[in-house]
Amino acid sequence: MRSAPRLAALLLPLALLALALPALAEPVVPVFTDETATAGLSTVFEGEWEYMVGGGVATFDCSGDGFPEILLSGGAAPSALYLNRSARGGPLVFEKTGAITLDAVLGAYPLDIDSDGLMDLVVLRQGPNRLLRGLGDCRFEDATEVWGFDGGTAWSTAFAAIWERGQDWPTLAIGNYVDRLAEDFPWGSCTDNWLHRPDGRRFAAPIPLTPSFCALSMLFTDWNRSGQWALRVSNDREYYKGGQEQMWHLEPGQPPRLYSEEEGWKRLRIWGMGIAAADVNMDGYQDYFLTSMADNKLQFLKDPATGQPDYADLAFKSGVTAHRPYTGGDLRPSTAWHPQFADVNNDGRLDLFVAKGNVARMPDFAERDPNNLLLGTAEGPFVEAGDRAGVASMGIARGAQVVDLNLDGKLDIVVVNRWTKAEVWRQTGESGGNWVQVRLRQDGANRDAIGSVVEIRRGDKVERHEIVSGGGHVSGSVGWLHFGLGDAAEARLRVIWPDGSAGDWMVIPAGSFQILGRDRPAEAWAPG
Amino acid sequence: MQIDRRRFLALSGAFLATPALAADRADLCRRALHGWYRLVLELVRHTATYSPPVAARAFAYVGIIAHESHVGLVPGPLTLAGQVQGLAPLPAPAPGLDPAAVLDAALGRAMGDFFGNTGPSGQGAMQAMARKLAAEIDRDLTPEVAAASRAHGLAIAQHVWDWSLSDGGAVVENLGFPFDYTFGEDPKDWVPTSDIRIQQAPLLPNWGKNRTFALPAPDLCTLPSHPEFSTEPGSAFHAAAMEVYEVSKALTEEQKTIARFWTDDPMLSPTPPGHWVSIVLQIAERDRMPAERAAAALAVLGVAIADGFIGCWAEKYRWNLVRPVTYIKRYIDPNWETLLITPPFPEYPSGHSTQSGAAEVALTAFFGDNFAFEDATHADDGLAVRRFSSFREAAEEAAISRLYGGIHYRFGNEQGLVQGRCIGAFAAQLKTFA
Repeated sequence: MRSAPRLAALLLPLALLALALPALAEPVVPVFTDETATAGLSTVFEGEWEYMVGGGVATFDCSGDGFPEILLSGGAAPSALYLNRSARGGPLVFEKTGAITLDAVLGAYPLDIDSDGLMDLVVLRQGPNRLLRGLGDCRFEDATEVWGFDGGTAWSTAFAAIWERGQDWPTLAIGNYVDRLAEDFPWGSCTDNWLHRPDGRRFAAPIPLTPSFCALSMLFTDWNRSGQWALRVSNDREYYKGGQEQMWHLEPGQPPRLYSEEEGWKRLRIWGMGIAAADVNMDGYQDYFLTSMADNKLQFLKDPATGQPDYADLAFKSGVTAHRPYTGGDLRPSTAWHPQFADVNNDGRLDLFVAKGNVARMPDFAERDPNNLLLGTAEGPFVEAGDRAGVASMGIARGAQVVDLNLDGKLDIVVVNRWTKAEVWRQTGESGGNWVQVRLRQDGANRDAIGSVVEIRRGDKVERHEIVSGGGHVSGSVGWLHFGLGDAAEARLRVIWPDGSAGDWMVIPAGSFQILGRDRPAEAWAPG
Repeated sequence: MQIDRRRFLALSGAFLATPALAADRADLCRRALHGWYRLVLELVRHTATYSPPVAARAFAYVGIIAHESHVGLVPGPLTLAGQVQGLAPLPAPAPGLDPAAVLDAALGRAMGDFFGNTGPSGQGAMQAMARKLAAEIDRDLTPEVAAASRAHGLAIAQHVWDWSLSDGGAVVENLGFPFDYTFGEDPKDWVPTSDIRIQQAPLLPNWGKNRTFALPAPDLCTLPSHPEFSTEPGSAFHAAAMEVYEVSKALTEEQKTIARFWTDDPMLSPTPPGHWVSIVLQIAERDRMPAERAAAALAVLGVAIADGFIGCWAEKYRWNLVRPVTYIKRYIDPNWETLLITPPFPEYPSGHSTQSGAAEVALTAFFGDNFAFEDATHADDGLAVRRFSSFREAAEEAAISRLYGGIHYRFGNEQGLVQGRCIGAFAAQLKTFA
């Protein structure tokens, strides 16, 4: 049960964070420049009813230069892979390729499935999903059949991956939406989500995650720091009957099993559209931001000592309800899609980006619905800065990525919009602080160390980052992990690797890129 | 015949999927009525504006449209013009019209009018329903009869739509939550009960000023004061709150089931008024009621529950009483949690109780006393069918469910039933058949 003292305890770290960090009375508002017109991204997420959700973007380096490429989903139109031709710190420049032109793509996630050091892609589609094997130099081949992956025929709208203990091949969770053949009466027609577990170095037949409730986001998370990752699923109440938000046990060799009310799981029914996880209050446990309509949730674990997955929603108290447009004059409730925590102003505090946009033209909801950029503050609650930062687009946004596209240490933003070109913003103002960026490397399976945890010291506290593949709204990234440092000249961090073994605490100089290999000293890297 | 929700929906779906029996125009009327109402229950659930008062209003108008579509075309139905407030005489049908085509056109138009703000799935479903029903219904009609019949149906719907625009409830902004609201400052006054930002003002504070249907005026069925607010242990008010608290601590599984069966949350169910509409549709299906009889029942029910919400809302904002969750956390147990989510508006009286009392009286007058039925409204959501020996028994269970759910005091439920029965008596007096 939630008690007032415990509630205060959940919020207190937000305030203490202010004391633990260099004094910055007000958050520095980052300055973004809209480079949509010049960056070379031309893909439009097209389509009608069967593309009302989806619209993802994947960022990853497939050229080997360290700069992230961009894969934009096109919905009913072809998707496209764009090579990153930007210079470090310079304007964003992308070159469209013909490497990936699949249609009916709702989103994609990069994942080195076969651990060969070449990024592969999981492509979610309206119809058969595809696994694309990276061949190097941003070339790909369809490995769906070779890897024994059943792509199904569903409307796939969510994804998460993890390497289960003892496996050298990932487990993939695919979330599916309504039965697309039930357009005349879609309510209650949610199709099964699937769990694809390994069978050697290929995938076994999928396991239905029944019941399924029209998932729009999935995320593996070690919510209780047990070392046993669970699968959170955010579901769209618009279409399910008897549904709710879900979390699955995923124990090695055991069938997936839902967390139950007896275990402390509380029924929550929202228009679940995206999940972002971060240790916002630095209590060592992941907090979860869930996007929805007219309201959004920020869940903090009430009491880890109980061992129960019982969360308090502190979105209101934390200033992140993001429930209506804050600029543009449209006062109707908002529709939120891709959420992502990141330190966009490098002040050492997590910020939150939320992509917004009407489902289509629903008159009960805002049609001019600007994206949110909510900045973490010294006082605790977040403050809205999307308009001041220059990212308050009125496009009908869906997926997004907050990522350093030109490797200058300042995060940039790419957003997929329904029916109009994807937008991209370069951060061009002065940085609000220092930063480091790291990549994790381990030999053998799971080279990018999905399922690791990076812990970074913030004063006398430790901020815990789970390294995952999944979440958001059909959008994901593998690449440099960015950490803002504020005035700190160095970062103190360590890696807890997927098998649970903790690396040593390291001191990383600010302003540097480092490759963190397992049982090896950090290896400095520089663009170009 | 026992019928559960799945069978009910399957039958409704089958109406649309199977070829029409050419000679059975009456059956086509039933298909049209059940097809559109099957959809309207989903549209209420999936259109964000449709909080319970707004839903009840729509059910009233759609019910009246369904009923008026039969007037002058089949023997028996009497117009409600002159019986409900402000409804002028409707267009009279020309000879030779087809009742099924009239009804289908009228209800199809009503869906677009009253649910025009639904999302893309609802829009698509409306279009699909219209296509399927029209193809089936018009197949054996001459183009002239089909066109004339549909024109009459559209005229009926237009007439009612025009009438509806002046009732005070036609425009709902911000999902019904005012942008500005002045809170009371007394400890007894309602305060927000959730951390949902949009719900920091109460739902539809002016709904009690809307034009009523059969109820001559909202203040005809007012209530006495609730027990005097007090924080003193032993006071009537404190005792009422303690009862909510104690009941919540010792809920039986049956009580939890009852609470969840009648919770009827907006956006997650057809809402409380939709629950009663669902009950009537299940009865109509079970008893294979002629469409004109079922439409009359739906019209009377719609009027009763719509008036119920108007009257109830007038009282809610007159008394502006604090919810149990607020009182109990302030004065009894700061850690207390309710089984159900407390709705975002004042407590006294209970809205579900009021509209259930109104439905009870209206439906008892229509179907008779001790009319037994089964209720599979929430079967698709995994809740078992419940059986009732009368509408009164169902209404009383709906009322007490709010105590089990921790969202109302007992007096709020009991007085809600009192008010609802008073309001429902006016709807029960409507003459729908000769």
